Formats: sequence, structure tokens, C-alpha cells
Amino acid sequence: MEKSRVKDIIIDSFNELLETEGISVEVNGNTALMGSDSVIDSLGLVTLLVDIEARLSDEDVEISILSEKAMSQKNSPFLNIESLTEFISEQI
Amino acid sequence: MSRILLITGSRKGIGRYLAEYYLKKDYVVIGFSRSESDLTHANYKHILLDVADEIAVSKSVRAIFKEYKRIDYLINNAGIASMNHFLLTPLSIVSKVFETNFKGTFNFSREVGKIMSRQKFGRIINFTTVARPLNLEGEAVYAASKSAVETFTRVMAKELGHLGITCNLIGPSPIKTDLIKNIPKNKIDDLIQMQAIPEFSEFKDVSNVTDFFLSDESKMITGQTIYLSGVN
Repeated sequence: MEKSRVKDIIIDSFNELLETEGISVEVNGNTALMGSDSVIDSLGLVTLLVDIEARLSDEDVEISILSEKAMSQKNSPFLNIESLTEFISEQI
Repeated sequence: MSRILLITGSRKGIGRYLAEYYLKKDYVVIGFSRSESDLTHANYKHILLDVADEIAVSKSVRAIFKEYKRIDYLINNAGIASMNHFLLTPLSIVSKVFETNFKGTFNFSREVGKIMSRQKFGRIINFTTVARPLNLEGEAVYAASKSAVETFTRVMAKELGHLGITCNLIGPSPIKTDLIKNIPKNKIDDLIQMQAIPEFSEFKDVSNVTDFFLSDESKMITGQTIYLSGVN
């Protein structure tokens, strides 16, 4: 799967989550997924990651985003959409 | 539309009974065990796996979701027991018991929980035992593994409660199954005398509780444990 497709999946999933939560922001690669700049809380991040995994599975990409590798990285892959795109693309 | 129910350890004992019981209620039942099942039914599918195998569980649950488009219920019944004085228990047995009883429950709960969280609906039932509250001698490892399952289930209930998913526990008292066949009769008799209702339980006593937990009306029942025979 192309990196651009991975990013599209993440953005689609994120936009759907924001819609559910009634939040309106412009989403791009630098949009934060965690930390004080993020518009979603930790539960929102869990929901997002589970949904992204399922969307990837729908396209026959079977990976576990929440792996030990993800948790142990010096720079969290969940910081923003760009870092998550990079991390997932490496797993595929 | 038929409800989709997953049961681990469905080849024999309580799991087999529950599989047949819910097939009679027109559920689609998907059962799991490490060896083949002779249960045949149009609405039954059997999958061979070790519940402690993280990748196998993940792949199977995803495949089931792709085929059936939803998973309504999960009953984590698979379990193994080890009855021995703890001074005579090798660590390898401890690992085996925790692999199946705790890690198996964890693996299935996590993978099915992901799907249920998208559906905003689900019922998860985990198995504990009266050996846990009774702190039975000779069952240190088995009871400890179920203690882990209990705590895990109560925390899971909190983490999934806002998603329409309930997580509860049933703790059967002795039923005449393979799990207790190697326990001396006098030990079982002593145990039964500790119960408020000093009798063997039956399979239908278990399905009475699972019916309650699975019911649509039980949407406010979560993080709870029901022990049979008045043990607490």
C-alpha cells in the first residue's frame, strides 16, 4: 500500500472521529494526535487507532498498530498524522 | 438477523454445552479449541487454535468479522486447571495455566473488543471459579490465574463501558466435567459443603447466568461476578 493511501486512511478515520465528537478543525500531516495540542483525548486516540487498524484490515492489510515496537520508540509514532503514517508504512 | 456468538473451549464440558444451547436459540456460534470438534450444525463453525496464540486469535477474529460483519457476544470459557500443593508445582505449569486462562482471555477480549467498540455494542463473559473466593488449598495457581481474570474483567468493564460493551464474570461451583475428574472425591465433597447450596451445579445453572449477562436488557450490568451455589 502506498504511503499516500495510508495517510488518506488516517485522515478519513480522524475526520470521522472529529465529526462524532462535534469538533471542527482543519486536518493535515502536522495535526497532533496526542499531547496538549491534540483536539482528542487518550480515549479518542484509542478509538482512532482501533478504527485505522480495521480500515487497513478492510483493505487486506493486517497489522497491529499497538505493538510493543510502537510503545517502545523514543519518539512516539502517535504524535501526529505524519509520524503515524510513517510508522504504519514501515509495518506494511 | 442471528446473533453472532464466539465461545472459546467449545469442544467439551461447559463450552460444548453452551455452544449447543445457543445454537438451539438460533444464534450463529463460532467455537474454538486446540483440537477438532465433532459438533456439526448449520450455524456452527469450529476453529482450531490455541487461545494464547496472539497472532492466530487476531487473524481469526478479523476473518470472522469480515465474514459475518459483526460479533455480538464473546464467552471466554477456555481454561485449564492444575490441582496440586504449590510447593510441588513446577513453574512450567504456572506458565501453562496463565497462558490459557489469562492470556487467552486477554487475547480474545482485546481483538473482539476492537470490533465491538466499532459496533458500539457487545457482551463479554469471562469465567472465574469459586476456588478464588474460597482460597482453596491445592488450587493456588488455578485460583490466582482466575483472580487475574477477575481484575482484568473489572478494569475492562470500565474501559469499555462508554462503548456499549459489558464485561462480566461467572464463577461456577463444581459441575461434573473433565476439569474436576482428577480431584479426589473427598476434596470435592468438602468443597460442596462450603457452599450455601451444598450441591453440584448443572450446565443449565451456567446458561441461566450467561442468558442474563447476554440479554439486551442487561445493558447496565457490567463488571459484576456471579458465583454459583451462594459462594462469595
